[in-house]
Amino acid sequence: MPMMTLQFDLLRGGLCKLSRWISDTAMSSTSQKHKEFVAEPMGEKPVMALAGIGEVLGKKLEEHGFDKAYVVLGQFLVLKKDEELFRDWLKDTCGANAKQQRDCYGCLKEWCDAFL
Amino acid sequence: MAEFLEDPSVLTKDKLKNELTAHNVPLPSGEHKKEVYVQLYLKNLTILNNKKIPPVDTFSSDEELSTPVVSNRSRSGRKATKKTDKPRTEEVEVTELTDEDLKQQLAKHGVDTGPIVASTRKVYEKKLQKLLDEPAAEPGAPTDVTTLPKADSNQNGNTNSDNYSDKEDEEIPAPELEPVPVVEKPTRSRGKAPVTVRTSSRRQTKVVEEVVLEETPKKASKSVVEDILANEISTPTGISATCRRPIRGAAGRPLKPSEYWLDESRVQRTVHTESRTYAEMYSQPSSAVCSSKAPARRGFLSLLLKLLLLVLVCGSLYYAYQNLSSDQVDALKGLLDNVVIPVQSAVETAANYLGFSSSGSSAIVAPDN
Repeated sequence: MPMMTLQFDLLRGGLCKLSRWISDTAMSSTSQKHKEFVAEPMGEKPVMALAGIGEVLGKKLEEHGFDKAYVVLGQFLVLKKDEELFRDWLKDTCGANAKQQRDCYGCLKEWCDAFL
Repeated sequence: MAEFLEDPSVLTKDKLKNELTAHNVPLPSGEHKKEVYVQLYLKNLTILNNKKIPPVDTFSSDEELSTPVVSNRSRSGRKATKKTDKPRTEEVEVTELTDEDLKQQLAKHGVDTGPIVASTRKVYEKKLQKLLDEPAAEPGAPTDVTTLPKADSNQNGNTNSDNYSDKEDEEIPAPELEPVPVVEKPTRSRGKAPVTVRTSSRRQTKVVEEVVLEETPKKASKSVVEDILANEISTPTGISATCRRPIRGAAGRPLKPSEYWLDESRVQRTVHTESRTYAEMYSQPSSAVCSSKAPARRGFLSLLLKLLLLVLVCGSLYYAYQNLSSDQVDALKGLLDNVVIPVQSAVETAANYLGFSSSGSSAIVAPDN
């Protein structure tokens, strides 16, 4: 039955591609940075690897001692992953605007959902 | 500050008496049981170990101790320490609370707090401050305020709307509009303080703020027109002259709308406003969602289609797997071959055209089984 297996292989490959395409479409509202961050354990990534945190905000966070992404994760966890509190803290610490806060919170939340 | 014993019964009666007199606690005359002195000690001195004197209705464990402390203070004329003197100050001064007290205060407001450490303290202080400010703001009033001054300004040309939007807690409460207070706050202070907007209803208005600020001018113009129309329709005599609406609460008029002939219009107006605000409240989150996710909406439909397709394919595969041993599979294979052969031949020709070896494709030439 070589024919049958070949068909199944083709189908399987097609299905894989289809599923990946579906997931990409579903997450099209998140940025590339977000996707990259959430795809793997953060390890020693710098704080600027977080979605929503660019150079300016990253520098401010580093001045406050949050030099690695995992330190910000620590703060996020200490605030019990509460959105409002974390966003307030982010605004107070580095002056992030609403979109940046949202992106950062979403990024960390999704990372926690996947790895924590 | 001396540390007082939690269990004064470890001391002798004499020692207890000495301690009490040393701290200006009046002793009952004559000889009493040790228990009496123990109680006195507990009530007057151990309580001072606590950082604050809680109000009588809360902190049930301290309830018995707080009342005698108050009376003792007045009796003995002892100069009260600042803890017992002004408990309210302690509540209001969030920055002076200890971590524990901050946590307790937040728990009182139903906030589940995490650990209060150096980095989280400021956020929790702000949250408590916000919670303490909120009840004082009379949230039920705003929409009434927005409708009244708008109509008035249209009729009389006065600019009271600006004044009303400043005052947060002096306006007439509208009982039927109580469910929509938080959302209406930004509406109220639209022209004036965006800072107030942010601190008051933070969670909703962070994203919705722009939407609300956009919508309120439209709402203002719309509501004025609607108000006038409502007024015209509801007048029993059909006279559409828009006279000045009597001010509620002035000149002995009751706060609640009663038997005035304009009452109907007012009720209708409030009903309109209510329905509008409800619609607004529901539309705001959805509009916020829409505005932020409009591009994803198109993708969502196609996603649905793709999911459907995926389900169909999986279903057919599963069906095929189930019937693996039956004759239907052979029929299916025959069908498939009929479809696949032309495709493969096309692939083969393409490969030949491109110069690739066709040895690989020969394996997938016509089946013999």
